[in-house]
Amino acid sequence: MADTETLALALAETLGDQQHQAAYIFDPAAEAPVSDRPAKRRRIPKKHAAQPEKPKEKHARHFQPLLNGLESRGASRNKPVHSGGGHWIYQRMHRPKDRFPHPFCPHHHRSQHGLAELAFDQLSDSLETRAGAKVVLLRSGDASNLKAALRKIILEVVANPSGAGEEQDLSLDNDGKRYLNYDLEALRSHLAHHPSPHVIVAFQDSEAFETGLLTDLILLFSSWLDRIPFKLLFGVATSVELFQARLLKSTCQLLYGRQFDVEQADTIVEKIFKTAVAHVDAPLRIGPVSLQMVLGRQRDQAAGVPIFVSSLKYAYMCHFYTNPLSILLAENAPQVALRAEHLEVVRSLSSFRSHVEASLRDKAVSHVQSLLDDDDYLNRQVQEQLESSRSWARRSLRTLQLLMCRPGQASTFTQLYVDLLTHGVDGLDQLSDLVSSMRRMDPAEMISLLNQIVAIIKDDDGSMGLEGCEGESVPSVALLSGIVTEIQTLCREAEKAGRTLRSEYSGQNKIMRTTVIAQKVQLSHDAATLTPQDKSYTRLVDTIIEHMEALLKCERAEDIWLHEAWLYDFKTPYREVFMPRPRSVVQRALLRPHDYLACSCCNSSKDQIMPTLPATAILYHLYLETGSLINVADLWTAFFGIVSEDEADGLDERTALVMFYRAMSEMRALGFVKPSRKKVDHIAKLAWL
Amino acid sequence: MAPRRKADAPEPPKAAPVRQSTRKRATTKAEEPTNEAADEDKAAHPSPAKRPRGRPTAASKLQNGASQKKFIYDVPSDDDAVGGEGGSNKDKDQAEKAHVGDEEEEAEEVATTPKRKVKTTTSPVKASGTKNIITPSRATRFTGGETPQWRRNDRSARKKSARALIERVVAGDASDEDEQEELAQEIYDSSQDEDEEEEELGEGPEGRAREIDESEAAAASPSKKPRGRQKKETALKQKGRARKKSPTPPRDLPPYELYFAQNRPGAAKTSSNTLASLELLTHEEYFSILHQHKEHHAGDIEYLQSWHTESFPQWSFELSEGFSICLYGYGSKRPLLHKFAKFLYDETPDHQTSKIVIINGYVRSTSIREMLGTIASAVDPSHRLPAGNPSVMLDSLKALLSSHDIDITVIINSVDAVPLRRAGTQTILAQLASHPQIQLICSADTPDFSLLWDSGVRSAFNFVFHDCTTFAPFTVEIDVVDDVHELLGRKARRVGGKEGVTYVLRSLPENAKNLFRLLVTEVLMAIDDEGVSGGENPGVEYRILYNKAVEEFICSSEMAFRTLLKEFHDHQMITSRKDVLGTELLSLPFRREELEAILEDLMA
Repeated sequence: MADTETLALALAETLGDQQHQAAYIFDPAAEAPVSDRPAKRRRIPKKHAAQPEKPKEKHARHFQPLLNGLESRGASRNKPVHSGGGHWIYQRMHRPKDRFPHPFCPHHHRSQHGLAELAFDQLSDSLETRAGAKVVLLRSGDASNLKAALRKIILEVVANPSGAGEEQDLSLDNDGKRYLNYDLEALRSHLAHHPSPHVIVAFQDSEAFETGLLTDLILLFSSWLDRIPFKLLFGVATSVELFQARLLKSTCQLLYGRQFDVEQADTIVEKIFKTAVAHVDAPLRIGPVSLQMVLGRQRDQAAGVPIFVSSLKYAYMCHFYTNPLSILLAENAPQVALRAEHLEVVRSLSSFRSHVEASLRDKAVSHVQSLLDDDDYLNRQVQEQLESSRSWARRSLRTLQLLMCRPGQASTFTQLYVDLLTHGVDGLDQLSDLVSSMRRMDPAEMISLLNQIVAIIKDDDGSMGLEGCEGESVPSVALLSGIVTEIQTLCREAEKAGRTLRSEYSGQNKIMRTTVIAQKVQLSHDAATLTPQDKSYTRLVDTIIEHMEALLKCERAEDIWLHEAWLYDFKTPYREVFMPRPRSVVQRALLRPHDYLACSCCNSSKDQIMPTLPATAILYHLYLETGSLINVADLWTAFFGIVSEDEADGLDERTALVMFYRAMSEMRALGFVKPSRKKVDHIAKLAWL
Repeated sequence: MAPRRKADAPEPPKAAPVRQSTRKRATTKAEEPTNEAADEDKAAHPSPAKRPRGRPTAASKLQNGASQKKFIYDVPSDDDAVGGEGGSNKDKDQAEKAHVGDEEEEAEEVATTPKRKVKTTTSPVKASGTKNIITPSRATRFTGGETPQWRRNDRSARKKSARALIERVVAGDASDEDEQEELAQEIYDSSQDEDEEEEELGEGPEGRAREIDESEAAAASPSKKPRGRQKKETALKQKGRARKKSPTPPRDLPPYELYFAQNRPGAAKTSSNTLASLELLTHEEYFSILHQHKEHHAGDIEYLQSWHTESFPQWSFELSEGFSICLYGYGSKRPLLHKFAKFLYDETPDHQTSKIVIINGYVRSTSIREMLGTIASAVDPSHRLPAGNPSVMLDSLKALLSSHDIDITVIINSVDAVPLRRAGTQTILAQLASHPQIQLICSADTPDFSLLWDSGVRSAFNFVFHDCTTFAPFTVEIDVVDDVHELLGRKARRVGGKEGVTYVLRSLPENAKNLFRLLVTEVLMAIDDEGVSGGENPGVEYRILYNKAVEEFICSSEMAFRTLLKEFHDHQMITSRKDVLGTELLSLPFRREELEAILEDLMA
């Protein structure tokens, strides 16, 4: 199709013509609607057919802030990672420039593509805003040779983000001189009119650049350095040594650089996790099943950070799109008067049901009565419950932090979080581990651990929005700090007596390794020789553990009533939407068309090819029985045998042939068969599904 | 150990045999005591013949008069005490093996699932046997030295399989190579069968015996090779092939197994039927029949489509949140996407600031430049993108977008179609999709489309996927008749049609035109005489045509004649084939009506 047609495409009105056009503008009205209405952008289309009880305006208003909050928090977390590099460049600019300042940005080779891109994008943003620099991102794909690279650099620098008629500047100087589009002189004259302190050229994947090209570029830049303030930035996936080894020594000497590390994807994911998932103020809790899927995908598919973010976003979207109760999570929820429909929904929740049952067991009949009958009461209860869910979140995070401070803690924060949500604290191995390890600690370890715990309880954790020293935990802080001082005095006393302080349990560590009989002896021996200090230390340890067990209390999210409103824990849309299995979908469609068509004719329980199946499905069934080389004549005979089988409405030969043709061409389009030259009228099998 | 055994030795070995036999009975419950006794007698039978070779031990002498049964089981303890006698050692081995073989025979006759059980019973015996094989001495019945070659081969195969079984038992891994083990067991059993042929006189199931013979022969033939393992493998292969003879392969093989099973050299055996007798479809016939044909699933397909239509609001929500959408599944999704475009169009209040561009990937001439150009013209109809490198075009398109307040929804039909499959194109599309003002929704038809994108491209696309199986026919996407003919290697059938021929002839000299006219006339006459058979026109003999051409002063030499023909052949305007006698026949790959039209053109 000729290019000239492209412009005429919009004019083509009949669908028949459009089918065969490569590209066209869709405009069913076909008349050009000329209206001078002010341009108004609607990024949020209306789409609430599915939820009639939710007013459109309200939804649009609520949804956006929630997501925006999440996004900005996630993004801002990343920034500090690279600001070091930017800052350094910023400082360098005032130095005499005999050599290039060029920070290396080595990112470990395991870090994903997306991460590197993210790092560079953020870096260029911050550099442009903070230092007023012009940043050119070069990828190896963009710059195959010197000319292309230079052209790209000049284009990027000259292209003004404000977009005000910059086209002329490119090739035409004010003096009327013309420059070739890869001539750096053009850049110089541009900079003379639009001065900029830096021109930063960032090589994203420096390994992929040809060595010669890199060398040429560096030489060229250094010779222009007195006129154009070039700075270079290299992304190095391997190591700086290897990078230097690739360049000539003379070239290396032109460079003057420093190395900055980009953070690992795991760390970033954990940071995002803390701010967006585990954060106290996160409106939506993402449940363990969903989290497990997201994290699993992160691990298995080596998906980048952006994918993690978009997974979270999608979970939010699903929740707010499908769950009518999500309205409770809106920022100004207290003011939102719930409608009767919403209360109906609340009453039909399964968690509501179990809550009612539990209340009845506790003989709180009037409470239940009001819940069921009194809308206002229910409304109040719902608000209270939401409040208590927030305190649950705080509690669970606190628990998590305490568990994390166990010495020798192996699992990551994210993993522990998922475990905690799944099992509640009682089902965790970590709890018993913590208790037993505390029991066996010697005083010094115990003191440091207690100090750590006190610090955790007292201090804020900004990353998760936890505020320190809440009302309920004040007594425990006092208690624990009291114990610390007591242990210290005991220690001193023991030292004076020339002994080491230990508890009843502390000996066990060593004895465990001997035989069982010996252990018994040793134990009784131990108990016998405990000093009074030791005994009081043992008592202290017992108190601590008792207290810790009381402190570490956190039920499963699913045991809380009304969790449906703030907990999103589904597997289904996520897996289908992000990890599709197209092969099995196509296979299923062809093997069992009934699953999709739900027709009355094709449903056979037996493993039998029904003549009413779509032609391609019949052919696919036959295809499964063939070898790697298929005789089309035989295939046709078999096909015709099947479709003409039915006496009443079996197909005649030519119609069957038409169906056969269509099926064959579809098989080919699906990539199942290809022509074969081995024999006449044979085709080759391509897919073994 | 030894002293205690020795002390036991005099008051003989009842304990051992009894324990063993009870254990056996416990495991193979089908066995009857009488049978067992008979077996053991049978098994014991050969031993006297061999005994002379080994030095008779004290124990054996002692037992000689006693029951045979006792003797057999006595041997091991005796051996241990004495220190390993070759002969008796072997005897014991042999006897036990014989016993085992018999047992299996029994089991197969009586029990339900013999193999497994037998294996479990044999294993302890075998295990004890391993430590006894210290001095491998030849102790066969054919001691005369003139053992026939095949017998010896069988023996060695059998011995090796026995060793394999023993090794496996000792190693203790059961599940891993079940098939091999089974094979070894089979070889082993079969030789056992043979040994007892005299007694049984072909009682065993014949089919099985034959199969085993085959595998045995295979195992035995490369006896010069040093190691037994290879032999077993060849045997395995041989057997596999023997079993493959059934027309339908086993259905429950996993795909990769199926691949290897079907791609073995020589595996493809297809009949030599051809489609010669079938008159292939022409475009006209195809469409006229298709037009009349009523798809009986039409209603269901319609319903399926309407079901997908329900999720239009969801899709547009996802698009608005910055995701791209990819629809996959069997069936054409073009009508669905068209509906979606309509839906979006009706949704948007202002058609100046949000436009929809549809790209048909399946159109063969689709190029990335054209796509970008169309999008640019959607942004600003008066703007023309500077032609050049697609990535440069993309950059200027992005610049254009950012200077306009406009949202573009790009709908791509068949993003995995051939014209768009190049990696460069997909990268450009991904970059396009990641632009905040561009929303992209596409459909993918093949099951393997996700291979198009590496992780970088995919994350730039930011896809969500939806299963949109529609079962709708690919009416526009596929050129059915041409595709099928290409698949069958009948490409030459329709070269440009009448217009193509006229076009070619216009640029050829007068002689060529005359020759072609001659050929057309001849072929038409031949069609009148003989009719069309098998979808191909009847041919004209090369010689006859040449003579006629000379007569009409079209050419003067065969050389010139050939040159003219070659020109036609290059443009695939003629076909040539040889008949049974080897005479070359020339013909034309056009239908009669087309030929007549061409002739008319040429005469005019």
